[in-house]
Amino acid sequence: MKKSTLAGSASRLVLLSSVFAAAMAGCASDSSGNEPAASAPPAASGSPNASPTADKPLALSIMLPIFKTNFPKDDSPVAAELEKRTNTDIHFQWVPNASYGDKFNITLASGNLPSILYVPDVKGPSFVNAVKAGAFWDVTDKLKKYPNLSQSDPVILKNASIDGRNYGVYRGREIGRNGVYYRQDWLESVGLQQPTTIDEFYEMLKAFTEKDPDGNGKHDTYGLVMVKWAPAWGAGFDQIKLWFGAPNNWGTKDGQLTPDFMYDEYFEALKFMKKLYDEKLVNQDFAVMDSAKWTDPIVNGQAGVIIDVVDGAARADLRIHDALAAAGKEDKREHYMDVFGAVKSPDGSIRTLPTAGFSGLLAIPKSSVKTEEEVDKVLAFLDALNEPENLTLVGSGLEGVHYTKLEDNTIQPSDDSALLESEVEGLNQMAPFTPATNLGLDVKQTPLRKKQSEVMAKNRETIVADPSAPFISAVYSQKGQQLGNIINDARIKFIVGQIDEKGWKEAIELWKKSGGDDYVKEINDLYAAAN
Amino acid sequence: MKQAIERGKPPQAAGEAAYRPSLAIRLRRDKWLYLLLLPGLLYFALFKYVPMWGILLAFKNYQPFTGFWKSEWVGLEHFRLFFANPEFFLLLQNTLILSFLNLVFFFPAPIVLALLLNEVRRALFKRVVQTMIYIPHFISMVIVASLTYVFLTTEGGPVNELLLQHTGEKIAFLSDPDWFRPIILLQTIWKECGWGTIIFLAALSAVDVEQYEAATIDGANRWKQIWHITLPAIRSTIVILLILRMGSVLDNGFEQIYLMLNPLNRSAAEVFDTYVYAMGITQGAFSYSTAVGLFKSVVGIILVLGTNWLAKKFGESGLY
Amino acid sequence: MSKRNRSIAGTIFDAANIIFLTACALAAVLPFVYVVAGSFASDAELTSRAVFFIPESLTLDAYKFIFSTDTIMQSIGVSVYVTVIGTAVNLFFTVTMAYALARRGLWGRNFVLNLVIFSMLFGGGMIPTYLVVRGLHLLDSLWSLMLPGAISAFNLIIVKNFFQEIPKEIEDAGRIDGCTELGLLGRIVLPLSMPVLATFTLFYAVGHWNDFFGALLYINDPQKWPLQVMLRQIVLLSQAAAGDMNSMDPSFVAPPDQSIKMAVIVVGTIPILCVYPFLQKHFAKGVLLGSVKG
Repeated sequence: MKKSTLAGSASRLVLLSSVFAAAMAGCASDSSGNEPAASAPPAASGSPNASPTADKPLALSIMLPIFKTNFPKDDSPVAAELEKRTNTDIHFQWVPNASYGDKFNITLASGNLPSILYVPDVKGPSFVNAVKAGAFWDVTDKLKKYPNLSQSDPVILKNASIDGRNYGVYRGREIGRNGVYYRQDWLESVGLQQPTTIDEFYEMLKAFTEKDPDGNGKHDTYGLVMVKWAPAWGAGFDQIKLWFGAPNNWGTKDGQLTPDFMYDEYFEALKFMKKLYDEKLVNQDFAVMDSAKWTDPIVNGQAGVIIDVVDGAARADLRIHDALAAAGKEDKREHYMDVFGAVKSPDGSIRTLPTAGFSGLLAIPKSSVKTEEEVDKVLAFLDALNEPENLTLVGSGLEGVHYTKLEDNTIQPSDDSALLESEVEGLNQMAPFTPATNLGLDVKQTPLRKKQSEVMAKNRETIVADPSAPFISAVYSQKGQQLGNIINDARIKFIVGQIDEKGWKEAIELWKKSGGDDYVKEINDLYAAAN
Repeated sequence: MKQAIERGKPPQAAGEAAYRPSLAIRLRRDKWLYLLLLPGLLYFALFKYVPMWGILLAFKNYQPFTGFWKSEWVGLEHFRLFFANPEFFLLLQNTLILSFLNLVFFFPAPIVLALLLNEVRRALFKRVVQTMIYIPHFISMVIVASLTYVFLTTEGGPVNELLLQHTGEKIAFLSDPDWFRPIILLQTIWKECGWGTIIFLAALSAVDVEQYEAATIDGANRWKQIWHITLPAIRSTIVILLILRMGSVLDNGFEQIYLMLNPLNRSAAEVFDTYVYAMGITQGAFSYSTAVGLFKSVVGIILVLGTNWLAKKFGESGLY
Repeated sequence: MSKRNRSIAGTIFDAANIIFLTACALAAVLPFVYVVAGSFASDAELTSRAVFFIPESLTLDAYKFIFSTDTIMQSIGVSVYVTVIGTAVNLFFTVTMAYALARRGLWGRNFVLNLVIFSMLFGGGMIPTYLVVRGLHLLDSLWSLMLPGAISAFNLIIVKNFFQEIPKEIEDAGRIDGCTELGLLGRIVLPLSMPVLATFTLFYAVGHWNDFFGALLYINDPQKWPLQVMLRQIVLLSQAAAGDMNSMDPSFVAPPDQSIKMAVIVVGTIPILCVYPFLQKHFAKGVLLGSVKG
């Protein structure tokens, strides 16, 4: 064994030393490769440097996240059809979603940028800095030339901007997606109606806990499931605080932008949470609960309500049906879940928490797309992806292969999930979804799914915007996590009774002293400058 | 040939100066050794020392796209930010306590386990046990954390159900700061203790069986045999591992702690690693985390060299 | 071996020892048994039962899902290739360097050792290393998963230490027989070090098998992703779901069933566990060392 190792050593040494020389050469050129793209660095691999003629397909490389272990290959029939329709030659650079952030930074550092780069975090420092160094095309004034991209929502554009300019095409998402879903069969068994006020909501949780909604004669259920909160994300609490009248992240108080937790309404919401906790209407381990298990108590029949996203209802419903089937129990309802957007605030208004309205940007690097003409072509491609038939193509694949069309203009996807995963799923990651609704063909709608769509549409009317969304705060990027932890820890401790109102007030003072005052001032300055 | 043998020996304390040949002769004599050294040297040069300029990022405001040269120099700003953090001493304390507990409870665990395994006479039993205790090493931390939650949650976790039956009370293991360290320690021991025995078992395989037989004839009991034969055989391995371990005193294993941390146990759980992560995600702070890493490395190297020096004082061969 | 003291105390010790080790083995393996059982159970059962070791109803759905396409099989191929070749590379680099450094009289030895120790604690970080790998044109090559980690400084120092422990008399005997340094290493030192080599073969092999980060950084071609990239993707998917902007996606895929996550662990663990029995026989061979010494 070691004989051969020794024999091979000579050739390995030769290999290694040549490799070493190459490294030296490579390193020498790195510094130039890292210069801003404005000075046109060496052509990146896979970039379309030959100027395309009218009939020559536009070569595109696209870096996108992939959520599964399968990915559509470059030569998948769906990709081929799309290339034919848009006269392009596409190379996909799939990156596992779990590590997209690292890969994104490495890609920026290497200078080998694709022609379309998915940017997960528009306000992230590495993207903002790259933009300031001139790495990406400013598309603000170009969008209006395109039939679909010109319909971009001005509010979302503003939220996705850096210093008021847009450096990419946002990927539009449902803005009214947040809401509440619950066990409708339980609600019927305790004889209540869908809640419309906070009090009724509380009554529902109380009945779910105390009135034996599953009728098994045991006191073994509770109302609301919550999972571990993060500083910028309070599970369902982000919605509850709006019901009580607190603002979304920031609100205007005495002419000043003020963080939500300084509002009395926010504290009322906290007291409400504490009441739910003390009366055991919410899971007692919510401060540590694994978010992967969020819907488990609903499916198990332990709990009845989740405040999250509206479309979670159908997923939970499906799991309940599956669980009943697996347990060999009678499945007597079409749907077990129902859904609503929000309950009324004390002042009678309905206040819904919006999503950001977009999920990252599709940015066009200057180093790989060199001329304005090419940028126009890339934008035309993205614009074309918004056409209904193309949305159907990237979302559902080819008719007769990946889906069949039903009479009511909905589709039935193929049962072959392997086929879908290796040829279709993931392609819609590059679709901008500029108009607010999905214009492509959708899967057959169950009553619950229809209800979900209605609730989301209704939610759009009642959203409470976050006035700080367009801004990039220097203080926050330095101390945001620390500041966030102070408040997040305090609110959890208040709910479980480790601190009282005085402790909560002290936490706010600590927040102010730890940089919060600077943060408030900065946000107010940015707000004043923008309006 | 005879001379070569003499030179091949390590310089002995007494006649060292007298025997040492000139440099040229030594280089020529050891040419094959230098040839063997070469691939490794090239490796370290290329993959470890060429990228070493990355350390300078600690003194810059590095941004990936802007590149190294164009990023601005900020001097010691990142260090200032780190040390001036009001929580610095809490972080240091938590980090050190956890490391200390690891050193006291986790570090000896594989040694003890290896010694016990070494005492097993039945080869098949030994082999089966060995294979079984290696398994946890392969289970990712995410799953370990998830299993910990399933076992210890107050909402229907089997441990708390048992407690409730016997004591009438539940314990909030996952959110009580006092339970944080024991749980982390238990997870670490469960996951890595078995795997850690491998290296000691390898060292033990070098022990001469005849020594035990001779000891038995001399009437030495099992404890004496372990103390006088087995332990000395792995002593230098233990010392080396201990010295190397000192280098990571300020590292607690980020993923594990991050997964087990929550607002209620933060006072015990927040350590350097989680703190840097928090700064890192909001800042994309390559420079900041490099600066903290550099601080940890400096502490690490001082501890490694210090421990090595101490080991030598006690007559161990140490790292060299 | 059987000649050792069979006193009553010894027997009690043996019995207690066996009981204790059995308990350790069970503690180590029971959670894994739960994982294996879970991988064969339905999602419904996993949701409703806290912990169990035998599923009520066996289903292969999770495995069917994992192996539904060739991607996983292909990635297993990549992982096996990288593990086998990568470990050979590791052993070659580590053993040669450790052997040279084990010689106390070698000029420059301490300097090199200091370099090694320094590199163990100080490093350039992700981006500078990436730029070196790119400079070597190793991107998208499987060599990028093997060369940048060719030597673990930690392992190197321990192997060197083991070599140092080999009694000088044995090497001297070899020299008298006319062995060169290479011959000494090949014919005497390595055979005597089989337990150590087996140990580090296992360490390196497991390191390669479990590595995903290198592939994420250096491999752009999804066809060359090793198994761990796939497995991590499945295991972490649900972790990322909550509170993540990506869950706002219309294309967002629901987190995979718990059973799939468990099957993933089984698939990722069993192959490398199978390596162990092959190495195990070498763990006893070092006995030779002692007998020569005596």
